[in-house]
Amino acid sequence: MTRPAAWLPLAAAGLAVAALVGLPFLTLAPNRLVPGSPVGSGLAGAAAGGLALLAALLLAGPARPWRARLALLAALAAWCALLVGAGQGAAGLLAGKPQAARAALGSGAWLAGLALTGLAGEAARAALPRRGGLVAALLLLGLVSLAAWAGLLGSLSLAVEYRVRAGAVGEAVLHHIGLAGASLLLALAVSAPLALLHLRDGPAARLVDGLVSGIQVVPALALFAALVAGLSGLLTLVPALRALGLSAIGPVPAVIGTAAYLCLPLVRGLAAGLAAADPDVLAAARAMGLTRRDVLLRVRLPLGAPLLWGALRVAAVQSVGFATLGGLVGAGGLGALIFEGMAQFAQDLILLGALPVIGLALAVDAGLALLAGPASGEEPA
Amino acid sequence: MTRTRDTRAVLPLLLGMSLAALSLPEVAGLLVRILGLQAGTPVPAGRLAWLARQHLALALAGFALAGGAGLGLGILATRAAGARLRPTLDTLAAAAQAVPPLVVVALALPVIGFGAAPVLLALAAYGLMPVMRGTVGALATVPEEVRRAAIGMGLTPAQRLFRVELPLAAGPILEALRVVLVLAVATAAIGALAGAQTLGTPIIVGLQNQNNLALVQGAAAAASLAFLTDAAWLAAAAGLARLLRG
Repeated sequence: MTRPAAWLPLAAAGLAVAALVGLPFLTLAPNRLVPGSPVGSGLAGAAAGGLALLAALLLAGPARPWRARLALLAALAAWCALLVGAGQGAAGLLAGKPQAARAALGSGAWLAGLALTGLAGEAARAALPRRGGLVAALLLLGLVSLAAWAGLLGSLSLAVEYRVRAGAVGEAVLHHIGLAGASLLLALAVSAPLALLHLRDGPAARLVDGLVSGIQVVPALALFAALVAGLSGLLTLVPALRALGLSAIGPVPAVIGTAAYLCLPLVRGLAAGLAAADPDVLAAARAMGLTRRDVLLRVRLPLGAPLLWGALRVAAVQSVGFATLGGLVGAGGLGALIFEGMAQFAQDLILLGALPVIGLALAVDAGLALLAGPASGEEPA
Repeated sequence: MTRTRDTRAVLPLLLGMSLAALSLPEVAGLLVRILGLQAGTPVPAGRLAWLARQHLALALAGFALAGGAGLGLGILATRAAGARLRPTLDTLAAAAQAVPPLVVVALALPVIGFGAAPVLLALAAYGLMPVMRGTVGALATVPEEVRRAAIGMGLTPAQRLFRVELPLAAGPILEALRVVLVLAVATAAIGALAGAQTLGTPIIVGLQNQNNLALVQGAAAAASLAFLTDAAWLAAAAGLARLLRG
């Protein structure tokens, strides 16, 4: 295990300190739509910055297990200071203010949070060479849930906005997972035969390659729009299709559009995975009298499994991102929340849609990496 | 091999030109009538051309920002830290990939405001890491013997970089840059949501007002621009490859 660049933790801690000192920690606004006036970070910020520097200095020294563990503790303590400082600071700002006033996290708090996440990740990787990043992510998330459960974060505008829309957010998350999952299944169903075609090198393989990489060039917005227009044209020509549940607006164009973009990683990955078996192994399998189907199922699939998992992982992460555009064609999901927030210029609403998208994508990535097991060799981010 | 490289640009060029023809008000109007859709006001060809120029300018600015910075940082990373930086870079790139450009545009909107700036930021954020990782990975493919031979020949570090390493690693680097260029054109289309005037604008307007004509025109024009940009890049890359081969 090579150690990552030694200056990285110091850079992360420096970024955290600079963000806490130079950028607004919290913003106070009279309501949820207007931008707020900046407020500094005070004592909690100083504590978080100091602990971050301590963690970085511990990591910069000679590599010892106790140093890495102490650094991880310091980074987690800095994270706690940041959380408590933000939550209590917001509560203090709102005391005696009218109901509509909002205290939001400022750019300094967000940037410091990102830097501390990186720092905790580095410390955890130094302490536990395997799965360190995942452990750090779970610890940080656990602390946030603990603080939220204890009611420490309730005054932050994001929490206020969430309380208003908790039902809608939960529904949007489920809907988003449904859209992404349906797209992935559709893409898999289309990509598997295409990958088999790709395996038999020839004009067909080149056609498949050109098609899936050609789709990749089309801007997603244009493809979704073309699907809406094409589907409504199809429905006017063949109205009977409406009875089958097909519609020009809604989940249908979103799922087809998202699936179209997933074909490139899936076809390439599936084809590479199926071609991964050594020619000698294939010759031996044929000599043993295995049929073509047996060769595919019992030799090619198991030997190509790591590549197949990798392709599935890339496609699954992308499906979460592309499904966001579904909000634009009336498919709902987290994209709809984001677009509503953009239309209202309401930062908290945008965040309520955007944070779960990022969280889902990271969770899918880490989850599939875990499922793939140590054989795939790649660690979750 | 060289033949296929040189002819790769032909197909996107033809596709781009036919889509451009489709985006013209008359042609798109015909298609919309054939499909039996309700048409709204068409987007005049002149306005479409202006939007295309704005779109291209925004995409190229974002591409220059993400591609230039990614390439520079990638080269710098291989000089300073060498291979030690790769695991961190891979992790960062994977994490950045989880934030789609649309989400970056949306997040940047309240902070930076409407217009082109959030789109540029989205491109820088989303395009930087793939180029940087691609550059570091491509430079790592230069064989160690070649590197040592260059040192033995008495080349300075700058000469080694420009005459030996970059030409040998040019293929994958150009491919990584191409991905970001295509991404830049797509993200500029999404930028219409943040108020930037691009070919995404007629699409958004068409979706909001159920104006299928503007929708088809915008979609065809945006796809056309993407294919034409891709064709131009492939042709330029093929020319560069021929030049490097001498």
